[in-house]
Amino acid sequence: MEELDVEPAITNIPAASDGKHLGFAWGPGDLLVYETLYKASSGAKGSGCSFIHEVRKDEDIYSPILRKLFNESHHIFVGLQTIQEDLPSKNKKPQFVSISKNYRSVIRACMEELQQVAVSTKDAKVAMQYGNQVSILLAIELIWNLSEVLFIDSAPAGSLLLHLLDWVRLHKADVDEKATEVLQSESPAEHKDYWDVVLSYVMQGRLEESRQMLVKQATLHPAPRSMYKLMDTLLSKMPFYNPGGNQTLTEYDVKWRHWHEEVDRCLQDNSFASNKHLEIICRILVGDEDTLLEHKELLGTWYHFLVTRLLFSHPTVQPTELHYYAQSCMTMFLDSRSVPEPLDNILLAAFEFDIHQVIKECSIALNNWWFVAHLTDLLDHCKLLQSHNVHFGSNLREFLLLEYASGLFTHHSLWQLAVDYFDHCPDLGRVYLELQIERVPLNTERKALKVLRICEQRQMSEQVRSICKIMAMRALKNNRLGSALSWSIRAKDAAFATLISERFLQDYCARGTFSDLDLIDNLGPAMLLSDRLTFLGKYREFHRLYGEKRFGEAAKLLLSLMTAKIAPRSFWMTLLTDALPLLEQKEVIFSAGQTYELMFCLEELTSSLSSVAPATDGTMQDEDIEQTKVELLRLALARNLAMAIVKEGTVST
Amino acid sequence: MVSVINTVDTSHEDMIHDAQMDYYGTRLATCSSDRTVKMFDVRNGGQILVADLRGHEGPVWQVAWAHPMFGNILASCSYDRKVIIWKEENGSWDKMHEYCGHESSVNSVCWGPYDFGLILACGSSDGAISILTFTGDQQWDVKKISNAHTIGCNAVSWAPAVVPGSLIDQPSGQKPNYVKRFVSGGCDNLVKLWKEEDGQWKEDQKLEAHSDWVRDVGWAPSIGLPTSTIASCSQDGRVFIWSCDDPAGNTWTAKLLHKFNDVVWHVSWSITGNILAVSGGDNKVTLWKESMDGQWACISDVSKGQGAVSTITDTQQSEQ
Repeated sequence: MEELDVEPAITNIPAASDGKHLGFAWGPGDLLVYETLYKASSGAKGSGCSFIHEVRKDEDIYSPILRKLFNESHHIFVGLQTIQEDLPSKNKKPQFVSISKNYRSVIRACMEELQQVAVSTKDAKVAMQYGNQVSILLAIELIWNLSEVLFIDSAPAGSLLLHLLDWVRLHKADVDEKATEVLQSESPAEHKDYWDVVLSYVMQGRLEESRQMLVKQATLHPAPRSMYKLMDTLLSKMPFYNPGGNQTLTEYDVKWRHWHEEVDRCLQDNSFASNKHLEIICRILVGDEDTLLEHKELLGTWYHFLVTRLLFSHPTVQPTELHYYAQSCMTMFLDSRSVPEPLDNILLAAFEFDIHQVIKECSIALNNWWFVAHLTDLLDHCKLLQSHNVHFGSNLREFLLLEYASGLFTHHSLWQLAVDYFDHCPDLGRVYLELQIERVPLNTERKALKVLRICEQRQMSEQVRSICKIMAMRALKNNRLGSALSWSIRAKDAAFATLISERFLQDYCARGTFSDLDLIDNLGPAMLLSDRLTFLGKYREFHRLYGEKRFGEAAKLLLSLMTAKIAPRSFWMTLLTDALPLLEQKEVIFSAGQTYELMFCLEELTSSLSSVAPATDGTMQDEDIEQTKVELLRLALARNLAMAIVKEGTVST
Repeated sequence: MVSVINTVDTSHEDMIHDAQMDYYGTRLATCSSDRTVKMFDVRNGGQILVADLRGHEGPVWQVAWAHPMFGNILASCSYDRKVIIWKEENGSWDKMHEYCGHESSVNSVCWGPYDFGLILACGSSDGAISILTFTGDQQWDVKKISNAHTIGCNAVSWAPAVVPGSLIDQPSGQKPNYVKRFVSGGCDNLVKLWKEEDGQWKEDQKLEAHSDWVRDVGWAPSIGLPTSTIASCSQDGRVFIWSCDDPAGNTWTAKLLHKFNDVVWHVSWSITGNILAVSGGDNKVTLWKESMDGQWACISDVSKGQGAVSTITDTQQSEQ
């Protein structure tokens, strides 16, 4: 066995007792397990446990709220696949960034909905389950957002920090809640959280907001007004890089250093020595790490610490330098005793620009394939994953998409989304689709048609045939002959079409009428699928002609059914009986020649019947009827022949 | 990651030997030492007993569903030397056919790919393999391979109905000429491949690697690559993955998946053949995935071979 990154997860099955084996079978998407004893000896008695447990992997697929995430991200995915390939990838960057943002907004919407449900539910277990899902989605969004900044947008120095600040602000939004609470209190400046809010704003680089907060304090304490004024000036003067402006990064850097020195000077001068809070702000502005670390609980995470530290020490940080700061911030921030969690490692890998490590760690840590599949697909479109093939036989993108789509396929309605994912997996997508789509339960005709359309659009002829045969068999079992016939025609299944045609003919013989006339009348070339079906179609045509009183044509067709051997011999007597009314019309319909042929058919039939040993078990009555029929036919034929000869011998005047 | 979502009480009065979901995962068939075969409707997490089939006179070892295009058909095999084919007609299940051509316990039944019609392979402790083919009108044609495995045949598994690589090489629209093939494992420690030629079954390959009885074999579904893959497991604790990428099907190479400390009884591939489940004497079912490690894959290290992805272990219920 190869070395593993993580120990395989163990699922315990209740109530399996010692000394027994664990049997299993694959269900679609699930595994069934049960206690058993693999044939020890024939008569081995040991009472077994009668339970069978259904085990499932991708439980997220079944969450009703996450279903929206799957549905909506599917649209974005399909849109991404159709982005024009001919544009140089540089020009496509804005599109990719906007797609990335779309994915994230779907995650956010889903998260909000989950949160609402988690709050409103009375069931503690459900609340916890939703709460867990919210925290997973939060982490997913956090990672995605960082990937967007670093990989997709790949912001250069200067802009990079601005993006990282946005990232931190978005994911540390509790400041705003706290600020609202403080501002709505009777005396905001005396609220216990007042200074926390001011510091949080500063550490997120939201200097305008912190200044507005500080004003409240300044008006309250008129004495050290000049001190507040000085702080306000420092805050207002802090330069921020403007990527759209015409200032170069070097110019900005000079300006920033100048400001930094000014702040440092204030600190050296003890300008704020008499006010502990302003002193702290000043230390933060100068980028003092110890002061920052003293406010860990306001920062919350090491990556917030990282961004704040960069903001006040290295605002022009290069993407390539990030990993150094990230690593050191993580070490400084985390307790020496605490072990980094999976999320920490994933973010660190992102700061190191190790995309594969990010994807790998996410795959191990997360409970679903949704995130890695979509993110990897997007990164692949950005051409960030080239030349990384896995032995599996397809690239990483395809591997993850196949896993995700296979999971969707186990769901009774989400499977339809999976089809599009398989379509965009050039190597194995088609075969996966072929293997999976046959397992979609065809519980209604509508669903069958839906599955069929998917197969037809993709020229999956084997699957089309299989579905039609299944439906034909099912219709036959339910005695819906018309439906069975049309399905078997679609399946081009000659043997089955023959079988069903027989049933139609039997029904006709028993009842004297045809069902499903519409279908049989409109068979067209499909009639040629099987001989028996051809006969059925033609025989019905005879009835139609007869009904329309087109006796001449009807007679001709009837005769040809026998002479061209289209009709099975067993049906000849019925056909001849059908000829009786035509023979007894006042007008001559069968010509002399045609009558001879009819007579020949009758003789052939009766001689073949009499050559078979006389049926001893047949009742006398049956035989009598047959005999009467034959005699009636002979009489009618003879009379018709006479009339025909007379008619044909008469020159019309 | 993996969790128990539903439990079905089969009410079997003795050991369960096999459980199989039908094609769509809506019906579950089970069989037991209590000589019965039962069928449950398990849609929407339910568990309604739809049939209790009695006809065997000994423990029933295996059940197998036929493809739904033939209607609802199930085969079962038993210690009583019989194979029974059951069919649902107008909502009730009845014997469609009873085959009594073996002289000892029938251990394994497996339906062939639907492309070949209704065709069933049966492996027996008498060493023979029977191939039953439905010819219509209640008739079953029987071909028997006598002495396929000395002492006994434990398992049979059909090859998918594709010529390896056919999906790549075959001109579209032209139906390839499928060859009927299956694999068997037996008490002669051998894995054997069988092929039908001119209506006769012939031994095609003999795969030697196991040092004790071969307990189960599984031919993987084709995923369009020009490779055939077979898994075999044995009393010797080993699981081998056999593969052949030679279009003529003559060169098979064995790769050891794992050596377990106990007998390995059962191997089975998932629908798309990307996961192999293995059940052994160590009371575990382990899931294996090719070239992946961890719970899914070590995507940054392409040199790695196989790894367990997840283990399903039983545990003693603490009795309190």
